[in-house]
Parts: sequence; structure tokens; C-alpha cells
Amino acid sequence: MTSPSPAHTAPRPGAEPSGTAGTGAHPSGAHPSGTLPAGRAAADHLEELFGDAGDPANPVGRDAVLAADDRGEMLAAGEDLLTGFGLNAHFVPRGLGGRFEQLDDLVRVMRAVYRRDPCLGLGYGAGSFMAAVNVWTAGSDEQRHRLARRLLSGGRAACAYHELDHGNDFTRAGLTALPGPDGRLRLNGRKEVVANLRRAETVVLFARTDPAHGSRSHSQLLFDTAALPATAVRHLDRFPTAGMRGVPLGGIEFTDCPVPDDSVVGRPGHGVETALRSFQLTRVALPGMTIGLLDTALRTAVRGARGRTLYGGRAADLPLSRSILAETFADLLLADTFTTVAARAAHTAPARAAVYASAVKSFVPTVLIRAVQRLSELLGSQFYLRAAEQPLFQKLLRDVQPSAFGHASRVSCQSALLPQLPLTARRGWRDDTADPLPAETFRPGAPLPPLRFSGLTVSAGGRDPLARSLVLATASAADGDPLSAAGRAWCAELAALTADATGLPPALIGPDAPPYAFGLTARWTGVLAASACLNTWWNRPGEATGSSADPAVTLAVLHRLGAHLDHHREPLPPRLAEPLGAELDRRFDAGLTFDLDRRPTGA
Amino acid sequence: MSELTTQTPQPTAAELVDWLRGRVAAQTGRPAAEIDADVPLNDYGLDSVYVFGLCAEIEDQYGIEVEPTVMWDNTSLAPLADALLGLIAAR
Ligand SMILES: Cc1cc2nc3c(=O)[nH]c(=O)nc-3n(C[C@H](O)[C@H](O)[C@H](O)COP(=O)(O)OP(=O)(O)OC[C@H]3O[C@@H](n4cnc5c(N)ncnc54)[C@H](O)[C@@H]3O)c2cc1C
Repeated sequence: MTSPSPAHTAPRPGAEPSGTAGTGAHPSGAHPSGTLPAGRAAADHLEELFGDAGDPANPVGRDAVLAADDRGEMLAAGEDLLTGFGLNAHFVPRGLGGRFEQLDDLVRVMRAVYRRDPCLGLGYGAGSFMAAVNVWTAGSDEQRHRLARRLLSGGRAACAYHELDHGNDFTRAGLTALPGPDGRLRLNGRKEVVANLRRAETVVLFARTDPAHGSRSHSQLLFDTAALPATAVRHLDRFPTAGMRGVPLGGIEFTDCPVPDDSVVGRPGHGVETALRSFQLTRVALPGMTIGLLDTALRTAVRGARGRTLYGGRAADLPLSRSILAETFADLLLADTFTTVAARAAHTAPARAAVYASAVKSFVPTVLIRAVQRLSELLGSQFYLRAAEQPLFQKLLRDVQPSAFGHASRVSCQSALLPQLPLTARRGWRDDTADPLPAETFRPGAPLPPLRFSGLTVSAGGRDPLARSLVLATASAADGDPLSAAGRAWCAELAALTADATGLPPALIGPDAPPYAFGLTARWTGVLAASACLNTWWNRPGEATGSSADPAVTLAVLHRLGAHLDHHREPLPPRLAEPLGAELDRRFDAGLTFDLDRRPTGA
Repeated sequence: MSELTTQTPQPTAAELVDWLRGRVAAQTGRPAAEIDADVPLNDYGLDSVYVFGLCAEIEDQYGIEVEPTVMWDNTSLAPLADALLGLIAAR
């Protein structure tokens, strides 16, 4: 790909993608142009707009990304490109005039952004989507249309939840919105470390609307910042950070600030419920997007290790290097398979998404961070020296870190799983008549039922159709199926977990739970990830070829899953590492992404 | 609800409150007599997460499905029992 001049080739915001998507070189040959599902076509189109990251003249190439990061600024040319592409339309449901239909498609498009610059991903896009899901889930028609218009016209929404005093525990949020003498709500208090807070035209603000204790005391407010009296609002200094340096992380302090009458989103006092329901979508989507960061980190590491001569050969060819590269590739596929299944399950089983979202957010960021960390060891000083061959790498290593704690940390997601665990063990896992997930959940690219925001619930009610899919599919796997032994091993783990979790007393499932109880949620997450990988294999298309038809890939992914769960510390055995390494080389040489999509990229 | 093993008969409001009081007493380590059915559970140090655990116990005991939000809307035992009686009668 050559460097385009993005501002000129881009369509207008919200427009359909131009016919160029799918017409570029597609070495995989899997999808003739025109038959690509909408999300893939849009992601391909965005890839073409971004052009060749390695071209020094590309205004959105690596050099430009790094220079903006050094200045602590968003890459302006990148923001213009995304506005021209109409990225915001991908956050707005089709029914409201946008292009958001499938969660996995949104992840695809955003992953293309994260491959180029995670700051653009979070600072241009993900922040607005986090704000928007609250409104799509609980807002009135008028509010939903208002926010849709804002986003479709290229505007931003900030998602202001966080207060430094309360961290992830947003149910203790202290900023108040209580009626003043005239009956209008007045804001008092602060929000801190919030993306785009100063420049966003619209804010979704999480506030205490009732002084009483309990879970019916908060609400989201949706308003335009221009509607507030300037004297009642003070913007705080920007919060400097180690990574994501370009993202403008602001703070705000309100003093007796009146808000417009129609600001409350949904039923007053139902804010905790709205957050717990709507953020299920973002807890799946954000890790899914961040896989794009690992994709670029992996490509950068291969480039670095191939260019480095050591002991008379290429560093990339040393057995240890090849092993790290193959394992990181398998980590990426593990993360992608689990998030893709969870994203698709939000469509096919929305009432169970509470568990799958927390499982993904508690597990996948850790996999991604560890993988980037290991690649840095492979690159040696190259990742650390700003002037070395691969200066992008140190930025990726910094930018990946917030995925561990931002928007619900690992521990807070485990605390969300824990109270649902004993009931699931007693009810869902013991029910021999329970339904599995529909097969299309495991077939990326297959059509899905529409996403029903109203179907998202606070608790999954003790049902776990993803675990059920593991049991049923293992039982019906053919004799001699290369994955059936793995399926039986994970079913045995599920049975052991059922025994261990059934009697977990209420005292052990609160935030003060002991490490043992938290460990049970990690085991649950492992079973869910294994089911996602195995069922994706068992549901692969009949005409599958290449890596998606090679059981070694799924076996390698499960091997890595075992390593992440501390089942073992073995490196990938050569019979698994070699096919993965070969596929990695093929994709690198052909300029293809390392995720399940295997699409062309100039990153 | 066939898969649920317990199927207790329809309780009276007083029986249900007594049973709930026993659960809360066990959780907080207080004597059951001290748990006032009209005082928010939060005042006994039970937070929103414990509610999930209590939900599960209610579900097991009475063979119903309870969204945790039922307990967010009914913060003390007397109104909670009223809300649950309807669900139990409808099972
Ligand atoms: C780049 C970036 C962008 C951001 N954008 C936004 C935004 O747009 N909007 C917004 O509202 N916020 C935003 N934030 C803020 C972000 O949400 C918070 O920084 C984060 O959620 C709070 O993390 P914390 O580590 O302070 O949480 P805490 O809850 O204080 O947790 C700290 C640590 O305590 C431990 N811990 C917590 N709970 C438990 C438990 N139950 N048991 C045992 N240990 C526990 C864990 O080890 C945890 O890591 C952003 C932050 C960054 C860095």
C-alpha cells in the first residue's frame, strides 16, 4: 500500500464506505470483493485510508504517531482521517441513523485504529462509545436521537464516571446532582482522569441523585457542556500519564451547577443498574480493540528480530525467539477467539452477557499486557532506546498498561463474577437440560440477531450456556477428533469447579473475599475461554483452509490458556510451535493481520 | 423451575420475613431478634454485592428467579418480603 492523502480520499461522515473496500490485494483470497460482511469491509476501508505506516511521508504513519506522542498530543491528521471516515457512525445504532449493528464488527473497525495508534483509538473513539452505551441502553427516544445527532455530526461525548477517591468502586461516587431551591438539579463535586472531558461537546456524567445508601441512588446525566453556566464549572489541569500520552485526560469541578431539566438518563436512581448493564458491551469491546495494539507489537517485534543479527544469524531465527513469537501469536488468537465469542454472545444470549463481559475484561487484558512484555524482552534494547530501529515499541508497551485497570480492573471484574458463581454451580452447571449457545455464536462472519440493549441484565441468573456448549460439543465430538481429549479435560475442570464452588458461602463472595475465592473466578474464566476456542474449532466452516483448518492452532491456543492459568509452565511443544511460526511468517510477509480476520494491513 | 430441588410451600409474609431475618443474621453475626424488618439492610453493613448472595439463597429456598434489582428496590426486609411473595405465588 502506498501512502494516501487521507483527507481527500475519505467519504463524508456517516456515508457508506466507497467501493474501494475489498478491491485491494487480498492474499488470503478468502473473500472476493463485494461479499465481505459490512464490518470487515469497513475495517478494510479504514486500513486503506491509513495507508503504509512505514512511509515517513504518511501523515498518519509511524513517525507522525510517535511525534504526536512525544508532544503529548492527539495525532491531528489521524483525527481528521477518522472524522472523514465517519468513525462515530460505527458507535450509533442503525435505527438511529448510524452503522452500529454488531458488536464484533465495531471491534473490527476499532482494532484497525488501535493497530495504528492506541491514543486515537481511546481518545477519538472508545471514549464516545463508552458514554453512548449508557444512553442507548437507558435513554429516552429524545436523548438517544440527540446523542446520535451529536456523534454523527463528528462531535464527542465524554464518559465521566471516575473520581480519584473511589477508583473502580463507582457505586460510592460522591459527585451529587440534587434538587436546588428552584427544584432543578444542581451538580456539586468532581470527576477526574476522564478522556476528552474538556473538549467533548456532550457529557454523560455519573452522579449521586439520592443521599440514601443502596444501589438506587445514582443516575447518569446527559447534557451539552455549552448548556452549563461557565461560572459554576472549573476544568482541572490535565492529568499526565505514563502511557496514552496523547489522550486528553481531564477533570472537572462543579459548584452549584444547574443542569437542564431533561438531563437524567432513564429512571432516576437506576444509574448503577444502567452502568452494570450497558458496560457489558464495552467490557468486551475494549479488550477486543486492544488486540490491535498487540497485533502491531507483534509485527514490530518480528521486524526488529529479523533485522537484528546475533551469533551470526537473525535474532528471529534463534529457537527461543521463535518460541516467544509463536506463543505471542497464539496469545493473540486466544484473546481474539474469547472476545469474539463474548461479543457475539451479547447478541445471541444478552441475558448472560454479564458473566461473559466480566470474564473477558478480567482475563484478556492480562494476556495482552504479558504478551507485549514478552515481546519487549525479545527486542532487547531496541524497545527501550527511543532512537533505535523500532521506536514505536516503547509506546505500545506504555499504552497497553491502562487496559489492566481502566474501565473495570481485573479484580473488580472478578468481584462481579464471584457472587454469581455459587448459583451458577448449583443451577446452571448441574442442569442436564440447559441450552447451549446457538452455533452462530461461534461462527465469526455469520449473521447475528440484532443486539437488544433491553435484554442486558445485571445478573446472568445462574445460567451459563457457554459452559454448556463445552459439555455438549465435547460429548458429540467424533472419535479421533484432534480436540476431543482437550474437550474432555476442560469438562473435567468444569466438574471440579462445580464441586468446589457449589457450597461457597455468602461470606466468601463479597469484596473482602479471600484469594482462594478469587481464584475460582479465574478457573471459571478459563473454562469459558476454553469453550470459546473449542467451539470455534468445532463450528469452523466446512470449506476452511489454511490456519483455520489446522488443529495445531487451536491446540496451541489451549496450551497457552493453560499457561496463563498456571496449569503449567511449558513452552509450546515444537509440533505446535512450528506451524504457528510458519503461519506468523506467512502473514508478516503478506502484510496480513494476526487475528482471526487475517486481513491486509499497512500497520 | 423443575431443575430446582427445593419447592417449599407458599410461606406467609411473617414466615418469609423470619426466614430472611435468619439469613441476614447468619451473614452479619447478629442475633436475629436484632434485625428490624423496616431498617435498610445497608445499615447492617450488607452492601450491593451481598445482595447477589441473598438472592441465590432465596432462589434456592423458594424455587423462584430473583433479579438482584428486586432487592435494590426494596432495601429492608418487610417490603422485600412483599415483593417476593408475589414471585413465589406466581411460580
Ligand atoms: C488512559 C486512561 C483513560 C481513562 N478514561 C476514563 C474515562 O473516559 N472516564 C472515566 O470515568 N475514567 C477514565 N479513566 C479512569 C479509570 O477508569 C480509572 O483510573 C480506573 O478505573 C481506576 O483504577 P484504580 O486502580 O484507581 O481503581 P481502584 O478501585 O482504586 O483499585 C486499585 C487496586 O486495588 C485493588 N483492589 C480493588 N478492588 C479490590 C478488591 N475487591 N479486592 C482486592 N483488591 C482490590 C486492585 O489491585 C486494584 O488494582 C481513565 C484512566 C486512564 C489511565
